[in-house]
Amino acid sequence: MCDTCGCGSNSTTFTKHGEKEHHHGDGHHHDHDHDHGHNHDHSHEHDHSTHTHGRTIEVEQDVLGENNLLAQRNRGYFEAKNIFALNLVSSPGSGKTTLLEKTLVELQDVPSAVIEGDQQTMNDADRVAATGVPVLQINTGNGCHLDANMIHTAYGELELKNDSVLFIENVGNLVCPALFDLGENKRVVIISVTEGEDKPAKYPTMFDAADICIINKIDLLPYVEFDVARCKEHALKVNHQLEFFELSATTGEGMDTWLSWLRDNLK
Amino acid sequence: MHEMSIAINIVSIARKEAEKESAPSISMIELEVGKLAGVMVDSLQFCYEAACKGTLAEGSELQIIELEGQAKCMQCGNVFTIDSFMAICPKCDTYEIEIIQGKELRLKAISINEEGSSHV
Ligand SMILES: Nc1nc2c(ncn2[C@@H]2O[C@H](COP(=O)(O)OP(=O)(O)OP(=O)(O)O)[C@@H](O)[C@H]2O)c(=O)[nH]1
Ligand SMILES: [Mg+2]
Ligand SMILES: [Zn+2]
Ligand SMILES: [Zn+2]
Ligand SMILES: [Zn+2]
Ligand SMILES: [Zn+2]
Repeated sequence: MCDTCGCGSNSTTFTKHGEKEHHHGDGHHHDHDHDHGHNHDHSHEHDHSTHTHGRTIEVEQDVLGENNLLAQRNRGYFEAKNIFALNLVSSPGSGKTTLLEKTLVELQDVPSAVIEGDQQTMNDADRVAATGVPVLQINTGNGCHLDANMIHTAYGELELKNDSVLFIENVGNLVCPALFDLGENKRVVIISVTEGEDKPAKYPTMFDAADICIINKIDLLPYVEFDVARCKEHALKVNHQLEFFELSATTGEGMDTWLSWLRDNLK
Repeated sequence: MHEMSIAINIVSIARKEAEKESAPSISMIELEVGKLAGVMVDSLQFCYEAACKGTLAEGSELQIIELEGQAKCMQCGNVFTIDSFMAICPKCDTYEIEIIQGKELRLKAISINEEGSSHV
């Protein structure tokens, strides 16, 4: 059941900043409300006392095929409107929202919009809204990732401009969002120097699926044991095509290269 | 826990196929999972059972076929087996490889029971 409105749905909610109403996505939910307490030691032997006609049907379908199809539809929409869409992924707290806040302030001459993904709260949408950029918050409830269908619903509400940039902040999670194509142009994985430099080795699926790797919080390098070169080395072993940016979203150091890369892609 | 959403997808694909055949129930689902697919097989098995509850596939078995990872070297063209993303070409020591197998997550086939059969 939805805690907010008690409507009996436990699906994803979509809320525009500044609006009191939220609504639920159509039947595409990832709730985990099943019982984990029961015994799994059942046997798979079935007693076929009367005659049974079993039959095998070839299916040959990609399990994520529906999501991939919807992602392709999103991609087509972005292309038609010349929207540059970025999917930002990281562990919780690596600095996705801070980077967005700083980026949006610097990019005020470019029409932008933001889709925020979190399990709960409007906090990140509120922070982004303070920059004046249109933002929509998706609360996934128990869901650990955004999917292509949520993005489709979200941009329908945001009324994206032509020749603009769309930032999607995924749920803070270095595992699950790796599997779900949203239709973005580039996937950006963010790692901060307060995390282990071997994160790319520990979570290779995410680094394999990314195009860009941002190493954030470099202002803290003097205080932590984090070897940037070693981190890059790990990441390149997983994905030799990764492009890197080293920056501090807080102090602004290194932001220039990131911003000019963005502008180059907006043409 | 994306394994839950994946399990729900699996059951939903299988259900559609079974409904096309007007089958009363599904007894088995055969799934190919690449070793680099980013899916935990144990966790998937666990969620599968939950995802099946109250559907045509309730009580069915999920048969998982694990697929080896395979890569092709972009320098020398060598094709070799890998068990992680951080693999190196054994011939020329490079990380510049392309993964050609191991990311699959494919529903291969389902076994259905037909009308008139009993599945005790
Ligand atoms: N020192 C330093 N702190 C930073 C930097 N970037 C972000 N932070 C801090 O890190 C904390 C988390 O930052 P957020 O931007 O909220 O991180 P997030 O990735 O959006 O977090 P979730 O949405 O919860 O996954 C905050 O306290 C930020 O102020 C940076 O470059 N340097
Ligand atoms: Mg955030
Ligand atoms: Zn509600
Ligand atoms: Zn997950
Ligand atoms: Zn579960
Ligand atoms: Zn080679």
